[in-house]
Amino acid sequence: MSEAAPDLSQIFRDEAAERLDAMDRALLACESGQPGGEVVEELFRHAHTIKGTAGLVGRDDVSSFAHEVEDVLDGIRQRGEFPREVASLLLDAVSALRALVTGSAAPSAELRRRLGEAAGQVRGAPRGASPAAEQPGGPGGAGAAGGAAAAGAAGGPGAAASRVLRVPAAKIDHLLDVVAEVVQFRHRLAHSAESGIGADSPLADDLRAGERMLDELRDTAVAMRMLPVATITGPLPRAVRDMARQAGKEAELVMAGTGTEMDRVVLESLSEPIAHLLRNAVTHGIETPEERQRAGKPRRGRVELRAAPRGSSAEIVVADDGRGVAPEVIQEAGRSGSLVDLLTRPGYSTAGEVTGASGRGVGLNAVRAQVNALGGSMEIRSWPGRGTEVALLLPLALSLLEVLLFERSGAVYGVPQASVQEVVAIREPMHLQGRPMLAVHGHPVPLADIADLLGVRAPRLQENAPALVIRSGDRRVAVSCDVLAGQQEVAVKPLGRFLGGTTGYLGSAVLGDGRIALLLEPKTLATGIGRAPGPRADAPADLPRAEPPPAAGAEAAAPRERPAILVVEDSFTVRELQRSILESAGYPVATARDGQDALEVLRRDPRVGLVVTDVEMPVLDGLSMLRAIRADPDRASLPVVVVTAHASDEERRQGVEAGADAYLAKGSFDQQALLAIVARLLGR
Amino acid sequence: MSTYVRIRVGAERYAIPVGHVVEVCDLDPAGIVPVPGARPEVLGVRNLRGLVLPVVDLAAVLRVPRAAPPGGLLVAESGGARAGLAIDRVVGVEEMGEPSERCDSPLLAGAILSDGQLTGVIDVPRVFGALEAEGS
Repeated sequence: MSEAAPDLSQIFRDEAAERLDAMDRALLACESGQPGGEVVEELFRHAHTIKGTAGLVGRDDVSSFAHEVEDVLDGIRQRGEFPREVASLLLDAVSALRALVTGSAAPSAELRRRLGEAAGQVRGAPRGASPAAEQPGGPGGAGAAGGAAAAGAAGGPGAAASRVLRVPAAKIDHLLDVVAEVVQFRHRLAHSAESGIGADSPLADDLRAGERMLDELRDTAVAMRMLPVATITGPLPRAVRDMARQAGKEAELVMAGTGTEMDRVVLESLSEPIAHLLRNAVTHGIETPEERQRAGKPRRGRVELRAAPRGSSAEIVVADDGRGVAPEVIQEAGRSGSLVDLLTRPGYSTAGEVTGASGRGVGLNAVRAQVNALGGSMEIRSWPGRGTEVALLLPLALSLLEVLLFERSGAVYGVPQASVQEVVAIREPMHLQGRPMLAVHGHPVPLADIADLLGVRAPRLQENAPALVIRSGDRRVAVSCDVLAGQQEVAVKPLGRFLGGTTGYLGSAVLGDGRIALLLEPKTLATGIGRAPGPRADAPADLPRAEPPPAAGAEAAAPRERPAILVVEDSFTVRELQRSILESAGYPVATARDGQDALEVLRRDPRVGLVVTDVEMPVLDGLSMLRAIRADPDRASLPVVVVTAHASDEERRQGVEAGADAYLAKGSFDQQALLAIVARLLGR
Repeated sequence: MSTYVRIRVGAERYAIPVGHVVEVCDLDPAGIVPVPGARPEVLGVRNLRGLVLPVVDLAAVLRVPRAAPPGGLLVAESGGARAGLAIDRVVGVEEMGEPSERCDSPLLAGAILSDGQLTGVIDVPRVFGALEAEGS
């Protein structure tokens, strides 16, 4: 052991003492009633962490005894039931563990034997399997095997328990920051490397592969921020009880679904709104015990907090069985819109307070504003005399994006900060074939006014207007604007269903001053896909590439607008590979995950002039998609290239019958062959 | 009898079942941010107390000629989605009979003829459906 050990082992002793205290409290609660899964989970987590940290500081004796305790808890966890006698055994074990940590005594052999036995029992006898057989199991705790419920709660011996590690939130945040830095660094690296290498050199391929891995790393890191709702609900039962007391009422809080996981940042911003809703439920919803008795309800009111995942959102419901909203209010809501709109109308709450019969009202407006700011929504349902329910629908993860904001002709736009290489002032643009170019560190970059890229009218730009050098894949474009409006972390809000067909936007953001910023996709800016042709000749689809394109698409001089190529492929890697090959040859590329998705893209994007598709795909396979295309009079002659894993004769026959124009085997897949076929089919 | 919000769109009269109406306010053209590339009926998006609300020109959806720019905004809701409908103005809230007159439009639930005036009853779910369909 090193000399630094004394410090470390003191920290370990402190932390272990805290955890052992918590285990004591939890076990005491277990003794007095059947604990929920969360309590067992908590106990397990403490034992597990003590084991892990003990190992780290070289206390193998503690580590191995903690492991024995953990083993019992793991068994209980999988079994889904807590035999009451085991609680007292575990209390003994916690005391022994405490003595071992402080170094005053080692656990007795007798205790270790009983722990081993208990572990065997809770693991070995899945509930309901054969209660009679486990009865004679001795003092360890067979007596509790009587329950009939919870079949299936216990995994077989092979069912691996998912281990949980406690990591301080600051570490995860730091990890995310570092990952974001690395992503930016990778952009800079690619930038400085690109002058030395061609787009199709092995180094460029490596850089692209690195980008994909980085994306995966970032997604994984973001997922680590997910925490169960239970992390913020701990103090709530006590708080509800206290609030009720102060108001001369009786109320209990019942919680469900608190294992639902959400982004930590969303969760933390929810503490206050949830506390507010609970306070409303207790002080305005729940009646006094006397009132409740007269109404034939139990004296003690019931407040519920329920959480449940709903797709990419989570629903959190605060409900009470109190007096509900007055019938007049519900009628008024029916006339003027919804109940939530009425109750959150500014100034409404105070009016409701006066009558005292609203059953709701204080600060709901603030709660709604907070929920909206998180990208969520709120609904209220109420039944006069029976209770009220407030449902919050929230995004599981907060889609926060660091953006650079800029303005043009009074409108605010944003692009992801990570895509912006630098900002330059436009000086003496050069021209190539009549199109403006800007020299950035000795390399020409196409220059375009954001107003022209978006196809909106705007007054002329001033001299020396700023331009953002935006990078996407291996393309760069300088986008000029009136003025920069700063860098900001914003919550991305979707543009919604009615703007679903509009491509080129990541979404929108509501800024601090209430203005809406449209968030632009860097890729669209750099390639011009999905944009209506602008009023000028330098519409993005025609933007010349900074680097000379490879041989296949060399004559970029004439075409007004190149037909776009739709790549249909369920494998992300293959799809991105094909996309980058086609894009580096100068073709605009759209992608689809399966045949169904592809038909969707074809419906809304008339510029697709050729389809490259895989055969085996979920939802709708390539050949079925091909048949659907051929059956559509408008697209019957659309060229389709089929890329297959094993181009057997049978497959080729099927493909030809379905109307494929060309075949490419994945095995012999090379980019020159793909580009040659594409060029031939597009008649170039 | 049902309750409707009666509105003017261009020179024509329409009614929307009150259950689909969330609120009515002034249009405030300055608060509407155009979304370049969106279908032509979409005037843009606006901030409605923190929500990003799409604003749609109802005259363009119904293909009604309009002499003056729209002045009112009616926030409609259907199937969990909300949209601001730009209209000329709100006439009032009224009880009216069922839409007894058939009409060919897929966007209308029918029409009501009374006192020599024809009022089209807007089918909000269908209007929303049309807006979600592929871009025009």
